Amino acid sequence: MPLRAFSIEDGNLNTKSVSVARSRAYSDIDLTFAKKANNDVFKKNDAGAVKQSVKNILMTNFTEKPFVPGYGGNLSALLFALDTDVEEDDIIQQVVTAIEAYEPRADVLSVKVRELPEQHDLRITVTFRILSTNVIESVDLNLTRLR
Amino acid sequence: MATLIKSTSLDFNTIKTRLKDDLKKQAEFKDYDFEGSGLSNILDVLAYNTHLNGLTANFALNESFLNTAQLRSSVVSHAEALGYVPRSFTASQALLNLSVLITDANRPTSVTLPVGTSFTSTVAGISYTFRTLEAFTGVDDGNGLYVFKTKTDSNQIPVFEGTQKTKTFIIGETSDSQIYVIPDTTADINSLNVKVFETVGGSTFESYTDLRKAIRIESTSKHFQIKEVPSGTYELLFGDGKSTGKRPVAGNKVVVTYLSVVGATADGASAFTPSSQLTVDGSQYTINVVTDTVSAGGSFKESIESIRQNAPIYFASQQRLVTAEDYKAQILANFSAFLDDVIAWGGNDNVPVEYGNVYVGLKFKSGLSEATQSDVKTQIVNELTDNLAIMSISTEFVDPVETFLELQTFFNFDPDLTNTTARATENLVETTIQNFFATNLNKFGQVFRRSAILSQIDDLDVAILNSRMTVKAQQRITPITGQSLSYDINFPMAIATPDDVNRIVTSGRFVFNSRTCFIRNKLSSLKLEMVDIDGNVQVDNIGSYETGTGKVSLVGFNPTTIEGGSTLKISVTPNNESTIRPLRNFTLDLDTDALVATAQIDFQNTQLTL
Repeated sequence: MPLRAFSIEDGNLNTKSVSVARSRAYSDIDLTFAKKANNDVFKKNDAGAVKQSVKNILMTNFTEKPFVPGYGGNLSALLFALDTDVEEDDIIQQVVTAIEAYEPRADVLSVKVRELPEQHDLRITVTFRILSTNVIESVDLNLTRLR
Repeated sequence: MATLIKSTSLDFNTIKTRLKDDLKKQAEFKDYDFEGSGLSNILDVLAYNTHLNGLTANFALNESFLNTAQLRSSVVSHAEALGYVPRSFTASQALLNLSVLITDANRPTSVTLPVGTSFTSTVAGISYTFRTLEAFTGVDDGNGLYVFKTKTDSNQIPVFEGTQKTKTFIIGETSDSQIYVIPDTTADINSLNVKVFETVGGSTFESYTDLRKAIRIESTSKHFQIKEVPSGTYELLFGDGKSTGKRPVAGNKVVVTYLSVVGATADGASAFTPSSQLTVDGSQYTINVVTDTVSAGGSFKESIESIRQNAPIYFASQQRLVTAEDYKAQILANFSAFLDDVIAWGGNDNVPVEYGNVYVGLKFKSGLSEATQSDVKTQIVNELTDNLAIMSISTEFVDPVETFLELQTFFNFDPDLTNTTARATENLVETTIQNFFATNLNKFGQVFRRSAILSQIDDLDVAILNSRMTVKAQQRITPITGQSLSYDINFPMAIATPDDVNRIVTSGRFVFNSRTCFIRNKLSSLKLEMVDIDGNVQVDNIGSYETGTGKVSLVGFNPTTIEGGSTLKISVTPNNESTIRPLRNFTLDLDTDALVATAQIDFQNTQLTL
């Protein structure tokens, strides 16, 4: 029995779309270099990989990456700035700019900054959505001067 | 010329891209393309390491050759392997006439000016100290005036800029293999004086001389060797006691004195004041100073490029004067503080031919007095040619002969293509030509190539559409006025053959028979005529010129005065205006008075009529 198909103009909404999104699995090496029982390194997959990437970007200071002087969140530099010079909005802007520039897989939803000047402490929570899966993840950064 | 290292093939991003390409072949890790990923960070480390290793290998290989080494220490080391000692800082030297007046009845018959007598002088607001390096004696002239003189009875007393420094070393055991360090980057190694005392407290000593000046070396020859080390300071070495000269023994004391100098910055000192009075028999007397020659001859350390050029030539000469290049190498190696350039040729190549002679042309640095120039020539003969040249060959010095070029430049100029005016561009063209001469000519053997200048002019501005240049060569003579004499003027190139349109030979203006005249060749003839400025022929045959030999002859030339001074310019059109190759002691210079650049406005429109 042949299948009769109507045109889209005639109201057929069952036609499959010709454009499809190719889902891509993310897989990265675990930078803690913890080893499995078989002595292999662990992998970071999907959300874990993106989360590690976001953390890497934010924890990198300017000029640390070879030949890409503007790469990174440059957050550690803030620890050595005068407290009165550091504005919360500036930090948020810095975080968003860095992730938008270097992590196309993440969409920043919110950045929360908590300054503890007496303890030379800066706590940042970045919440972002992974674009391919819509999974929402957050990264907590706690920056403290050691001396 | 140094080879510049091209690091493009070792570029960090290229290496990282290659690593990423490799990772694309596997499915285990896929995040290599994201800059924040751990994999990207690891690739950074790998690529950076590869990049640095590649560059280091490249640098190391470059430093391994004299032609490509970039570091001074490497170049000096390569030169040392060729037996070449790069020039150190050199003291600026002035010549002074010194005397003291002692009117005391019991005055001595002679007075000694001690070593180290110092004088101060100021150059550009900075004070420098000059001092004598040997003792000089003055003899009473009968009136109590003691004029100090050198051993050659000259009253020109040399004083050298610098601070006298002394280093004392005690010779250790042979097994210690001691090297004696002179930690001074501005030492003038030519002023080094090395005395070896038998004992630490003794007063008897032997003087050691520089190995570079040695004619022969035996086991008893007393020579020292001085060399620059990577830090830019110097080290002193002695012979081994066998084949390379006498070696001081353990317990000997070595006293080294030398001048620490500032080099060329002390050149130009003209007024000298004695730092102290002269003590004679317990009384103080003022030293009278008259400057004979302002200070000159100071120089900085030899540049890397100069070492690169001179070391192989010096090596090729093998400390012997056989070929013309040997003369050039040896003279430049020893007297480059005084000389801009040297050229030498055999008597067989001279005009006229003189077998048995070697002709040496010296181009002295500007500012050197006749006395200093003469002194340098004497030193060249005494220290080099008498010892190193082939027997029965004598050295003749010839002065450089400057041939001036008169350049007229015409260029098409489109004002629509630029904001600069035609006049400003004309000035720019003239400046470019002057810079070209300063950089590329003015030395022996440097060839004028017209297209090389024109290509620079074409590149000056997009508004310069094309250019052309007429070239004339010019020699200058100083005729004796009021006497009818003959003059031969030699040009270093062939002169153009006469034609029926252009005058090939012309001269500057002079007065003859109360009329302002000049010389030119007759059209279609090699004969020269003297005409006044109205075109009336005053002397029908005043000489001739030869095309092949480049000789212009004036016969019975008797001007009353020369316009604008005493020098008469004789200009000729070269047979080949594109290339002028100076021979022997000729150098090419620019006659800036005759330098003309003319813009011809060209809007690049197609014309309908001519």
